[in-house]
Amino acid sequence: MSIEGILEKGYITTTADTLINYVRTGSLWPVTFGLACCAMEMMHTGCARYDMDRFGIFFRPSPRQSDVMIVAGTLTNKMAAALRKVYDQMAEPRWVISMGSCANGGGYYYDSYSVVRGCDQIIPVDIYVPGCPPTPEALIYGVLQLQDKIRRTSTIARS
Amino acid sequence: MSARLETLKTTLQARLGSRLIGMDEILREVRLEVSAANYLEVMQALRDTPELAFAGLMDLCGVDYATYGGEKGENRPARRFAVVTHLLSIQHNWRVRVRVFAEDDGAPRLPSLFHIWNSANWYEREAFDMFGIFFDGHPDLRRILTDYGFVGHPFRKDFPVCGHLEMRYDPEQKRVVYQPVSIEPREITPRIRREANWGREHA
Repeated sequence: MSIEGILEKGYITTTADTLINYVRTGSLWPVTFGLACCAMEMMHTGCARYDMDRFGIFFRPSPRQSDVMIVAGTLTNKMAAALRKVYDQMAEPRWVISMGSCANGGGYYYDSYSVVRGCDQIIPVDIYVPGCPPTPEALIYGVLQLQDKIRRTSTIARS
Repeated sequence: MSARLETLKTTLQARLGSRLIGMDEILREVRLEVSAANYLEVMQALRDTPELAFAGLMDLCGVDYATYGGEKGENRPARRFAVVTHLLSIQHNWRVRVRVFAEDDGAPRLPSLFHIWNSANWYEREAFDMFGIFFDGHPDLRRILTDYGFVGHPFRKDFPVCGHLEMRYDPEQKRVVYQPVSIEPREITPRIRREANWGREHA
């Protein structure tokens, strides 16, 4: 994105909302939460070929430093409490991308005794990425959709 | 290939013959059938006899024969639960499969192989978790795969595949809670009937 021509006078005017949303969409740091084969596609998305870094996305090892959680894979009952705990530790504002059929709604394991039928039973989800597993392109599209969603929110509420 | 198998079978017969219930060859592999009373003794001999030298326990799993053979129950064994072990002799490049039935269908018990092959540790925990087979002499017989506080043994044929409980987040208690399952149990596994020699065309 170029700002040539915009800064002729040495300053620009904008709204606080636009600035805040510009910053938020430009540095979405996901907490590393890979659960199954979807995590492989998430890793590919983060690696050199698809390179999430160019969107300002860096995986963080700690939920306390993260803005977004990509639930990549099958969420089992045994893992559900841990998922909620990690989500609770994230600082607001926070977003969740549900990646793949299993996280979206149980998917292949819908009838299973040990799998949560969709991670939205445990945490609120912003973006659902379909696929089994979704391709890196699909995940990036999901991230772009999340950026659009963040741009639509207004931080300073007007009554 | 078959000459080596014949050698193995002859050796097994000579060394263990009186303590075996049966021995047969399926898919170019030898299978032994042992009674629960002779189980530990036979396994010890399989490892310690130099001509056999089965040094490695590659796998151990439980089997539930409750619905074996379908409605009519053709060839259904007299006992419900069995444990199958796969052994490997690195020295002789031999493999053998051993099946043993647990005596009591209600509370199946078998001696633990942990003191012969310590790789049995987690396999036996898995068989206990999934089938409820108790292993006497196991040092740490806890559940290994299912959820903390899980009730039941999921691989038993009478366990519904959707289970009894499901999880959701309760905003009032601010934690995940269990609730009874909200879906109808359904079986979507196709019934497949294969020809008698399926998989054995090249045997």
